Formats: sequence, structure tokens, C-alpha cells
Amino acid sequence: MNVEAPDQQVSPPRGRPDSESAAADSATRRNRPRRREGAAWVFLSPWLLGAAVLTLTPMLVSLYLSFTQYDLFTAPEWVGLDNYVHMFTSDPRYWRSAMNTLIYVLVAVPLQLAVALAVALALNSIGRGKGFYRSAFYAPSLLGASMSIALVWRALFNDGGTVDDLLSTFGFDMGGWVNQPGWALLVVALLTIWQFGAPMVIFLAGLQQVPHELYEAAEVDGAGRMRRFLSVTLPMLSPVLFFNLVLQTIQAFQVFTPAFTVSGGRGGPADSTLFYTLYLYDRGFTASHMGYASAMAWVLLVVIGIVTALLFRSARSWVFYNDKG
Amino acid sequence: MLTTAVLLLCGLLAGCGTSADGAAGGKIELQFSWWGNADRAEVTNEAVELFEQRNPDIEVQTSFSSYNSYIQKLATQAAGGNAPDVMQLDYRQISQYASAGLLLDLDEQSAINTENVTSAMLRTGQSSGEQYAIPMGRTSQVMVYDSARWQRAGVAEPEYGWTWQDWSRAMRELGEATDRTGATDPGWSEDWFEVWLRGRDKSLYTDSGKLNYDAADLAQFWRTTNELSQQGAVSPARQTTQIDGSAANMPFGRGNALSGFTWDSAVGGFQALIGDSLRLAPLPVGPDGTPGQYFKPSMLIGASANSPHPEAASKLVDFLINDPRAGEILGVSRGLPVNRTIREDITPTLSGLDKRIAEFQESLDGELLAPPSAPPQGDLALQTAFQRDYDHVGFELQSPRRTAEQFLTNARSELQR
Repeated sequence: MNVEAPDQQVSPPRGRPDSESAAADSATRRNRPRRREGAAWVFLSPWLLGAAVLTLTPMLVSLYLSFTQYDLFTAPEWVGLDNYVHMFTSDPRYWRSAMNTLIYVLVAVPLQLAVALAVALALNSIGRGKGFYRSAFYAPSLLGASMSIALVWRALFNDGGTVDDLLSTFGFDMGGWVNQPGWALLVVALLTIWQFGAPMVIFLAGLQQVPHELYEAAEVDGAGRMRRFLSVTLPMLSPVLFFNLVLQTIQAFQVFTPAFTVSGGRGGPADSTLFYTLYLYDRGFTASHMGYASAMAWVLLVVIGIVTALLFRSARSWVFYNDKG
Repeated sequence: MLTTAVLLLCGLLAGCGTSADGAAGGKIELQFSWWGNADRAEVTNEAVELFEQRNPDIEVQTSFSSYNSYIQKLATQAAGGNAPDVMQLDYRQISQYASAGLLLDLDEQSAINTENVTSAMLRTGQSSGEQYAIPMGRTSQVMVYDSARWQRAGVAEPEYGWTWQDWSRAMRELGEATDRTGATDPGWSEDWFEVWLRGRDKSLYTDSGKLNYDAADLAQFWRTTNELSQQGAVSPARQTTQIDGSAANMPFGRGNALSGFTWDSAVGGFQALIGDSLRLAPLPVGPDGTPGQYFKPSMLIGASANSPHPEAASKLVDFLINDPRAGEILGVSRGLPVNRTIREDITPTLSGLDKRIAEFQESLDGELLAPPSAPPQGDLALQTAFQRDYDHVGFELQSPRRTAEQFLTNARSELQR
């Protein structure tokens, strides 16, 4: 995880570029004549330099810093595992931020995917105005990562905001959703769910790959709508569902911008939207504990790695690949 | 070909080429940076030009940005050993920068004259007894209120010397007489706790940077403000938690409360929202009349310890603080000048809100106690922690006592690190 850019929203899973380059590398060695190798290196060099200077070096420095106490001004002081020990044993806010993030991942990701799939199914079956509706539903994903949409979201759900006013005409006087510890997390999750456009587009592409004869065969066998969805659509769509699940989970763990903006940068009220990356930012840039922040970043990297590995393992039992069957 | 690529990248990243260090045409080159806006930039550049005319052998490169990006940029520059020769500093940066050896000890610079700055104000730029920065402008805590609504509610307007008890009573009366609350709940900010604490002869920190109050003090403060909040005398938790420093997000600025505490340098924001009935009043004093309010440097100026031209840098610092013509040009762009004679010179030329703020400060001259010395490193994190923790009291998730104890445990470890 890159400490410099905690608000990075759309990042490919780490490690993918490396394996690609390794594959390209071995391919050149085996199949291409030697004199062409030079050209390959030249074309690769900007990327390699970028990866080494801008990704690998900062990562290694951050790993080193995670074992130090560093306030940016005085030289880093080696403290061994102190940062990690403090994090796990005597920092209640660390656990609070981890719990908030976990709840958020468990709420936002399944709901977002469910909405994306439902809308994709609806859009797949309509004939007229297809293009318009697809763009309309995709637009929030394009805008959503920005600060401004998060600000609008905050204004909508704030005390005296549109949503608040609307509800109070029906007799629910909330006094602002983002100002109540019990509701603020939900508002941030809603913002994410609303941005279902990217997984929706992928679902749409997946739906169009399902062979039509399967539905016809199912219909002949007397399968109703629901049955067809459960026995044909879902299994055929499972690789796409898996892809979306992995991608959205990784992104959700790194959620930053919406929480930062909606909560005014503090993760409030009363720590209810203190997400992991928000706390990391707070430790690093407000409290000047860069070493501690680096340690947090590495723990996050490891946790995301483990969760992704678990997802891949579970995939064996529920993801259905056509070419194997 | 690889070399071409490397050279290309170098060009893009810059810094690989020859650096333009040293003298430009035999002149000494100084870097001077500050935070602020275009208005401040205009007068600052004008003053700097005058300085260059007077010192033909010195050339000053100026740069500025908004406060937040300035603070981050300066930290990065300082961490890399490239701090500008002369820099505008915040009260809360002094300890950190000085203890890291980044600031020039100004005591040893004979070019700097500090005769016209009170010793109390000078102390705000000191760290472990050495003078690392000189205050430029001064500001003070202020209570802003909507006098029209206060009068309509039939509540007496505040005057100097009112106590925290008087304040509480006024808040309750306002809460009962109107459909709004009397004030923005002051429990959210360490700044207002500090005023309350100083009124009781304590302070946030001792001169050596240790905490100078205990959990009972903080618990009492929070218990009082929280009770007022529950009685509808000051803003409820869901409004208090919105506060982010901007006037527009203060319950007073939003029109939900009839008064609020702020710094006199920020009054302009409220004037825009409230209009002509906005009035300024001093903050309440302690039970025996001890004022907690103080004059604080709105910003300071210092020089880099790594500057190759310490004499030239101190000349510029002296010029900006003491030169009468520079004072005339700079006006109140950095708050009311700390230099006594310059302040007296420019006060009659002020008008509107600037004038009212100047009069407000004048009315307090001689009444207030000396400001505390610069807060210790780690204080910045505590400021945010204070508001965060008060949320737990306001939303009744934790008792004031328990929350205060937690805040102090956290504060002690934050100050140690």
C-alpha cells in the first residue's frame, strides 16, 4: 500500500504488474532472437525505472520506516517491533478503525454488487434507451471518487440538508445523518453503493456472454424465471462475479476519500467513520508518527493479501469456468 | 539508447542537471516563503522590493501558498534540508522545528532589533530559552454575538470582566427566551478550555512542555459544557460535531446559536454571515477575575539554520518587523503588528472591521496576562483529539470523567514520543 496516495481508488491488485513483466521477460528469452531483446529493454525502461523509483523504493523505505520512530524532522530511530506491538496491544483506536473498515467492507461490497447485478439484469433486458440508461447509471462511478461528490453527499445528509428536510416532512426528525454516530457509517457506505456503475458494466458484459441456447433449453425443461436465474445466469456469471468481488473488496479496504470528506477529516462523529486509511493518515500527517503509519500500511497490505488469497481459495468451490466443463 | 531514456527521465524529474546555486550576478540570493492569499502577496512583494532597493546586494525570491499546503511543503523541504532562508512560521511549529535544529538562533543575530516587541510576545517565539522566531501579528480570543437577537431576548450584553458563571446564566436565559441556543458549545476546542483553565491559574503546558492540569479539571469543564448543551443553552452534539474551523460550519455561523468563540483574525467570516449586528466581546474571566484570554502571535517569522547567508536573512527579518515604511505597506495583512510603534502608527488609518478589531485589542491592552510559551511538539495531534473525544461526551457514549482520563493518557504518550 502506497502511503503517499491513500486516496487511490482504482488500483490494480499489487503483484499483477510484476507477474506480467516476468512473463514478458521469459517470453522474450525463449522465443525471440537475441538482437531484438535490446529494443524490448528500451521500450520497457521507462516503466521499469518508474516501478523501481516510484513504487519499489518507496515501499522498501516504508518497510524500513515501520521499524522506526520517525517525525519527518529528526533522523528515524530504530525501535524494532515497537510500532507493531503498540498497534496490537495498546491502541484502542487502531482496533476501532479496523472494526469500522471491516463492517464497511461487509456492508458496502455485497450491497454494491447486488445493486450492480440487479441493474445490469434490468438493463440487459430493455430494448429502447439502452445507451442512455447505461450512461446514466455509470456516471456516478466516474464522478464518485472525487472530493466534490463527497461534499455534495455530505450536504445532502447534513443537518438541514435535502434528505434531512425531506424526511422531517414525513415526521422523522433526524437532525442530520452524518452528525449521528449511529448513522454516519451508513451514509459513507451508501455513497459507495451508489457508485455501482463499474461492476455493473462488467456484469453487463458477462450477461451478454451467456449462451442463449442454455436459456432455451432451460425453458423447454420447464424452468421459471427464478430457476433460470439461479441455474443458468448465476453459474455462468460466477467468474465475473468473482472478479468484481475481489476488485471491490480490495478497494473497500482502502476507502479514504468519502470518509475523509463526509466526516470532515476526523472520522467522526465519535470515531464512527474512522476508517483504517483515515487513521493511518491521521497518525502520519497530523501526529507526525510516520513510522507508525508505515507499520499500519504494511499490516493493511498483509491483511488484503490474506483476504484475497481466501477469496481465491473459496472460488474453487463456487466459480464455474465454461472451458473446464 | 538506454542513456537517452535516462537523460529524458532526468529532464522530466529535474534536479539531475546543474543546480543554480550561489550568487546571481554577485548578489546574495534569499528564499522567503509564507502562507496567505493574493492580497497579502501584493503588499509583501511591495515591501520586499523596498528591501531590495535598500540592500542592492541582496535579491529575495518570494513564494507563498495556502496554509495547509504551506505547512506540508515546508515540512517536506525542512526534512530534506532545503528550508527557505526566511520563513513564516506558526506558533505550533516552533518547538518541533527548533528542537530538530532547523531554525537559526536569532539572539546571535545583531541585525535584529526587538526593542518594540513586548517580552511577553517575544517569549512565544522561544524554545528552551533561545529566540528562534519573532512574532509578526497578534490576535486574541473573542466572543462574537448577534446583538440584535440578544437585545430582543432581553439578555444583558457582555462586558469585560464577566465570569464563566455569568456566561452560563446568559446562555440559559438565551436558550429559554429564543428558539435557538445561546452559543456554540465551547467544549469541542482545546482553545476555549485553555482560556477557562488560565482563568483558574493553570495552563495547558508548563514552560518545559509538560501538562499543567489534571483529569479533574478537564472533566469539570466538559461536565459544565455538556450540561448546558443538554439544557438547550448551548448547541447540541449533532451541531457541535459539524465544526471544522470554518465560520459557515459553526452553529453561530449557521444561525443555530446566538454567539460563539473565535479568534479576532477570523471575525471577517462571521461578519459576512451575520451582518451589521455582529459585536465583539471579551471571553469570560475566572471566578476571582483572572483573565484567561491572551494575545497570541497570529504568525511568526524565523530563519533557517542551514541558510548560507544568516546575516542577510536576519536583515530581512528585522526589516519586516521594524521598518516603519514596511509597516505602512504591510498594514494589517498579517494581523495587527506586534511592533508597538508601528501598531500605533497604522491604527488611525484603519476603517470598518479592521478598526473594530483594533479597538477591541486596544481595550484589552494591559488587562491580559502573558501568553504561554510555544506549545510542545505533539500538541497539534491533541487539538484534533480534543474535539474527537468531546464527541464521546456529547453523544453520551462515555462520562466526562472517563473521557477526560482517556484524553490525558493519550496526551501524555503523545507528548513523550
